[in-house]
Amino acid sequence: MSDTRAQPSVLRARPPASPPRQPRGYWRLHWRGLSVLIERRGMLALLALALLGAAVAALSLGQGSVRIPPGRVIAALLGAADAPTTLVVRQLRLGRVFAGAAAGAALGMAGCLLQTVARNRLATPTTLGIDNAATAFAVASVVGVSTSLAPAAFALTGALSMLALVFALSGPGDTRGYRFLLTGMGLGAICGAATNIMLARAPIDAANQAYPWTVGTLNNRAGPTLALLGWSLLVLTPLALVLGAALNVARLPEPVARSLGVRITQLRVGAIALAGLLTGLAVAVIGPVGIIGLAAPELARRLAGPRSVPVLAAGLAGASLTMLADLAGRTLCAPSELPVGIVAALVGGPYVLWVLLRTPQGALNA
Amino acid sequence: MPNSTSAALAAHALRLAYRQSVVLDAVSVTIPAHQVTAIIGPNGCGKSTLLAGLARLHAPEQGQIILNGRAIQRLVPRELARQLALLPQHVLAPDGLSVADLVRFGRHPHTGLLRQWSPEDQAAVTDALHTAGLADLAERPLTTLSGGQRQRAWIAMALAQSTPLLLLDEPTAALDLGHQIEVFELIRTLTRAGKTVVMVVHDLVSACRYADHMIALRAGSVIATGAPRAIITPALIRQLYDVQCTLLHDPTDGTPIIVGAQRAL
Repeated sequence: MSDTRAQPSVLRARPPASPPRQPRGYWRLHWRGLSVLIERRGMLALLALALLGAAVAALSLGQGSVRIPPGRVIAALLGAADAPTTLVVRQLRLGRVFAGAAAGAALGMAGCLLQTVARNRLATPTTLGIDNAATAFAVASVVGVSTSLAPAAFALTGALSMLALVFALSGPGDTRGYRFLLTGMGLGAICGAATNIMLARAPIDAANQAYPWTVGTLNNRAGPTLALLGWSLLVLTPLALVLGAALNVARLPEPVARSLGVRITQLRVGAIALAGLLTGLAVAVIGPVGIIGLAAPELARRLAGPRSVPVLAAGLAGASLTMLADLAGRTLCAPSELPVGIVAALVGGPYVLWVLLRTPQGALNA
Repeated sequence: MPNSTSAALAAHALRLAYRQSVVLDAVSVTIPAHQVTAIIGPNGCGKSTLLAGLARLHAPEQGQIILNGRAIQRLVPRELARQLALLPQHVLAPDGLSVADLVRFGRHPHTGLLRQWSPEDQAAVTDALHTAGLADLAERPLTTLSGGQRQRAWIAMALAQSTPLLLLDEPTAALDLGHQIEVFELIRTLTRAGKTVVMVVHDLVSACRYADHMIALRAGSVIATGAPRAIITPALIRQLYDVQCTLLHDPTDGTPIIVGAQRAL
């Protein structure tokens, strides 16, 4: 400070350096009265996950009985490749890869929303029994009704009714998520048993036909269901983003969040309904690959940091993980194929264990 | 502190219940503006419930709470959150946040989807951190702070809310003597700057020393209100806690001091 005396008075009269306009670690975009805060780490995590997803998708589109290098995959997608390559990429593989990405994204976002609402990282579509209910309903329809779209519609119905039931039975004022979790686990166990009874008692043909619904696979996806999932994601993702931003404040203790003006009950009901819808739509396409709903938010949280609820990052992580699991299942022991649900459980299970064991002080609150 | 107008908060014939059991009945209190009000009473007398009720966390079965001439049940949540901040007991922050991250949550009622961060928001956070004496610790993870610092971080969050009214539930619970005094003196500073503070306090001596106004509760009813020096008597203490004692007065500031306390038989 000693040299300030030597400076001309005009410089000395200048006010101190203006304070920062935004919190540290954020970018702030503003225009007139409007402003948007972008958290740097979260944004970088999104970019990284998007790149990862694109790379996995390109790799996935190129792998199979005919191998196509990534460059030609992109050319085929842009319509600049020869006819056979275009046929393989667009007609044969694109649908499958898209189904994996879309279902994984839906499960990842659903997991992230549920964990945040229940304040418990164990609260995922699987632990809440949503997968099991969707499967039970789908199997019931295969064994009983057996029309092409019915299993998917039944899976969706099963997921939503399960969620409504869990929510109704666990009751309001459940702030720590335990009642919610235990209710879901209990009802999920009943649904699992029901599925097994149906498979045991059904004729062998029907049981075989229903089997894929119990393991999770991208082999028997129905076109209309996939289209429904795709369009729904277009609508539900922005909704999930808005809810995720609102849920950020709801991570504070409930009385604090409420005195900050958060309408916590509405927020909770909205997030749970949305998670149920996303899970139901995903299970209708891919079957019960619930581990994605647990692993994807963990990966997203690890990358995006603690400042926000990483709904979109969890979606992107879920898409990448599901595509990877499907790719591994198709290629590792080709020509036979492992269902995506089994690969996801094999890889995702240890990953989740690793994350949870590394968590300090056993803190599991999301 | 930004414009703290005279925030008159009052409860009229309030009845609050959890399911079947009535916790508070026929409670009417007025919170004087720009002063520290302490709610005192034995365990389970309804102190925290009254505080939560004043913050609209419990819907009253009967009676109402009036804030600036309007029933608070009629206010939109965000509107109420710009008038009144509540800091409950035993609060736990989400993992991994820094002090500044926590304090920023206080701006929630002032921001929106397309007004996420204005210069006023930034100024309020900076102010709150300074007032709570945490400016140098702003970027520190909450988990590395001492208990007293963490409590001040939560108070700073409530300050960033820029409300004329501040409701604190046992703000000094689990703090040692030095940190208790630190927090109480901070609270004093706030009322001098125009805020109205209501706090639940267990320690009667601190309540007498730092409160301008007192509400004494027993078994869900108000049994005395007024300035500490006027209402604190051996008879009231016996009525509240079933304790017999002698009162002295601190020679430095006249605060009542309890000596020779023993269970009343």
